[in-house]
Amino acid sequence: MAMSGVEIFKLLPKTNCKKCGFPTCLAFAMKLAQRQADISACPDVSEAAKATLGEASAPPIRGIKLGLGDRAAKMGEENVMFRHEKKFVNPCVIALNVADTDDVAARAKNVASSEIDRVGQKLRVDAISIEFKSGDAAKYEAAVKAAAENAPESAVILNCSDATVVDAAVKAVAARKPMIYGVNDSNIDAMAAIAKAHGLILGLKADGIEAVMALVAKAKAAGVEDLVLDPCAKNAREIIEMNTQIRRSALKKGEKSLGYPVLSNCVREDSMVEANIAAVAVAKYASIVLVSAVERWKNLALFTLRQNIYTDPQVPMQVPQKVYKIGEPSAEAPLMITTNFSLTYFIVAGEVENSKVPSRLAVMDCEGLSVLTAWAAGKFTANKIAQFVTEWEEFKEVANKELIIPGQVAILSGALEDKLPGWKITVGPREANGLPVFLKSRAA
Amino acid sequence: MIIIGEKLSVIAKRVRLAMEARDKGPIQEIAERQFREGAAIIDANIGPAEDGGEDLMQWMVTTIQEKVHAPVCLDTTNVSALEAGLKVHNNQWGKALLNSTSNDPERFPVLELAAKYNCDVIGLTVGKGGLPADAEERAGIAAEIMARAMEYGVPLENIYLDPLVLQIATTQDQAVKVIETIRMFQDLNDPPMKTVVGLSNISNGCPKALRPILNKYYFLMLAEAGLTAAIADAAEMAEAMHEKALIAEVMAGKTLDDPKKMAEIVKTVDVIMNKTLYAHSYLEM
Amino acid sequence: MAYTIPVENLSGKVQEMTLGTAGRTVAVGGGTTLPFHTFEGVKSNRPVIAIEIQDVPPADWPDEVRAQYDAVSGDTVTWAKYCQDTLKADAIALRLTGTHPDRENRSVEDAVATIKSVLDAIEVPLIILGSNHVEKDSKVLVAAAEAASGRNCVIGKAQEANYKTIVAAALAHNHKLIAMSELDINLAKQLNILITQMGFDAARILTDPMCSALGYGLEYTYSVMERIRLAALAQNDATMQPPIIGDVGMYVWKIKEVTAAEADVPAWGALAERGVAWESVTATALSIAGANMLIMRHPKAVDAVRKTLDELC
Ligand code: SF4
Repeated sequence: MAMSGVEIFKLLPKTNCKKCGFPTCLAFAMKLAQRQADISACPDVSEAAKATLGEASAPPIRGIKLGLGDRAAKMGEENVMFRHEKKFVNPCVIALNVADTDDVAARAKNVASSEIDRVGQKLRVDAISIEFKSGDAAKYEAAVKAAAENAPESAVILNCSDATVVDAAVKAVAARKPMIYGVNDSNIDAMAAIAKAHGLILGLKADGIEAVMALVAKAKAAGVEDLVLDPCAKNAREIIEMNTQIRRSALKKGEKSLGYPVLSNCVREDSMVEANIAAVAVAKYASIVLVSAVERWKNLALFTLRQNIYTDPQVPMQVPQKVYKIGEPSAEAPLMITTNFSLTYFIVAGEVENSKVPSRLAVMDCEGLSVLTAWAAGKFTANKIAQFVTEWEEFKEVANKELIIPGQVAILSGALEDKLPGWKITVGPREANGLPVFLKSRAA
Repeated sequence: MIIIGEKLSVIAKRVRLAMEARDKGPIQEIAERQFREGAAIIDANIGPAEDGGEDLMQWMVTTIQEKVHAPVCLDTTNVSALEAGLKVHNNQWGKALLNSTSNDPERFPVLELAAKYNCDVIGLTVGKGGLPADAEERAGIAAEIMARAMEYGVPLENIYLDPLVLQIATTQDQAVKVIETIRMFQDLNDPPMKTVVGLSNISNGCPKALRPILNKYYFLMLAEAGLTAAIADAAEMAEAMHEKALIAEVMAGKTLDDPKKMAEIVKTVDVIMNKTLYAHSYLEM
Repeated sequence: MAYTIPVENLSGKVQEMTLGTAGRTVAVGGGTTLPFHTFEGVKSNRPVIAIEIQDVPPADWPDEVRAQYDAVSGDTVTWAKYCQDTLKADAIALRLTGTHPDRENRSVEDAVATIKSVLDAIEVPLIILGSNHVEKDSKVLVAAAEAASGRNCVIGKAQEANYKTIVAAALAHNHKLIAMSELDINLAKQLNILITQMGFDAARILTDPMCSALGYGLEYTYSVMERIRLAALAQNDATMQPPIIGDVGMYVWKIKEVTAAEADVPAWGALAERGVAWESVTATALSIAGANMLIMRHPKAVDAVRKTLDELC
């Protein structure tokens, strides 16, 4: 059972020696309660306390790393069913599945060059899965090597249910810590032995949740703890249903044997449909989303969706500080200013668009706070606005030195006129939906 | 329960004009009224006050204390204005209260002041960017603020932890989490940590007629959880104390004689507890 | 090892409504579970896809989607019949874009004439949308409701600023109504309350919590829809039980991901597929968040979403 920070604190040495990297035992205890620290960081805690805490601080869904180094993707450790409750923690891995009968090297190169920069984050296809289709062990081993060589930084997944074939192929890439996917009731003993020998993740594959649980029990009995589950959903509805059931069981029922990341196979003939099925898996709890093609358009759509779904609902989404042009504003076009809370931005920009008056919208970094909150927190004040307007290059191309401020901070207009000599400060409407009328009446 | 009278705020037009004109009349009138209504501390919220905040805060503190024999809660993001206020604060009726420090490095200097002047300080449990999602996160931030306070030499009994009350109209789920947090904060130390809330924010953005209803019942629920102090409307809170018995009866499953009151309490408690979705017309449903 | 499926017995439901008349009716909403959870209750009707047309040629649509209709969009009736007969639309959404004062500023009479001729030409249900100009909409939509009397259409969108006249018109002519608020579940509930307080049956409302495109605030729409569904089912909140509508096409077909040429942003890949994927992934995400009806533009995106729904339903 999860323990509260205070309960954990009672088990700590209470010396505030700081060896754990936290200023006090209490602060460390609070981090432990939120699973943002590990008990091993405290050298002085008693063995008995460690045992109690280890049990209590184990997350309901085990955290597992796929891949190596700073490219490794953390999976699992989720705490909620819905993203509005609390942040979804570890964004899912998108993995390309290629058959060993395909041109593996070329496909692996697609994976290696899949990186896209989106709102400051570098996103990519994180893993390549090599499926055993040829029936030829040597061919499979060559394909695995080709994949590993041509996608040198990606995680590798051995999609094969023949343990002898895996055993042969694994040696070539053991240092890359591949995941073995395709573990079933008939091969689990041999696969577990391979995984144990090399410290690998086992991807358990069985028809339905009950069968997967049986495999989990066997894997654990064999001493393998890093597991990924595939209950083999036959269609998109089953992806939603099974993934929901697994997460619910792990989070709400404390079902330990289902407390592992889930893999959803989204491979489809039609690539556009595959994008949609993958979207279902991204939104509904998959930790590994397996697809058969990674065209750039599809990657962009899926990476973006993943980013949207895994956005922290508590951290307001921010748009970059910048003077945005709406329509094709001339140098004389109206210039408005607001904060960088993305919802504020979307709504204000939408209303300006609605007005059809070409304009500039200056968005100022206020840590994603809305206008009034930012003002009260001292982030959207006359000094800071004046500094932004004076120092930011894009204001230089504005001929009409008039700044329209949100009606909610009308209070700033006097101070702003003092601090921005040569500028006229105009108070705009209080609410964004007043903008079309406001802008049009000025334009008339 | 300590009530910190909230009415002297730059957001209120009358107060703002009086501040700008340095017109003592309205300020003292409002301060005295709050004191009569039961406020033990008077909040002086001058906003970010970037220009001339020092002078304004000193004027506010002396203007208030000239008539009201109570400590002042110095409320601004301008640290040097806080210090200026502390210099003139008369401690005869109690320590000044600083509003506030937090986990944002910009707010750390406030702790330095609290140590230097040995006054009380509100520790708002938010960090830089992003709001805490639940009680655990708030308690985590509280622990960090407490550790920092010890470093700066501020005794823990001088700290009031503030979980940050959010608007029920937009972040309904946080109302009940704040109640939980108040319970959790007290456990962070022995003797229990003191707690405070900016109460009226709960009903910010709600229709006027609803505001006192939400404020009152939320206050009573927080008080039940052990809240030490509230920055609030003193008159409203005095009224709330009269209804304390009513809410207790409803919570105990009894039926009140006044069906309208009964419905008001049940529906409001359900909204606060996040059992029914808030809408401006929730009382009419 | 026996596995007990963790079923949640939710007490609420989603309202079911029927659109259209005679043989070509369509059922929207219904059910007692979260989207596609067939293991714990009665599932909703398959989400309905309405294909969007306009009363004026779509000169403002990006090339990728506009070109799909070049042969038919010169005439609204031809366009409508193409969507019904060739694209097999479940329903048609006619947006009266041309009535916007900053566009063609078409008159109320012109709009009425268009609506009547479209209704004469099609059998599938019609959704009549204003131009999102608060004042003009309240005139146009009132006349529209009368012109479409007896056809059991959807009229929209009623917003806080203009709902009264539109609700009255939908009430008088027996239509369904879209109630739209801006990404705020509490305001969505409030608007539905205000509308029902006018005597309009909640069973005839469609809630539009405002759509947003993938990458442009989709997470807000997604979460508001999920929360509306949860309120309807877990809290049995009658005001949140109307079906949900997602006006997808309009929000997707304006952003740079559906207009930027591959030559300008090679990392984004082929524009033709990118635009279609953007609309279809947005629509798919919203249908699993709880949308019961989707308004879409690109035939290929419609096709991909249909195939996805085949798997989901
Ligand atoms: S290392 Fe252990 S004893 Fe030292 S402060 Fe951290 S938790 Fe306390």
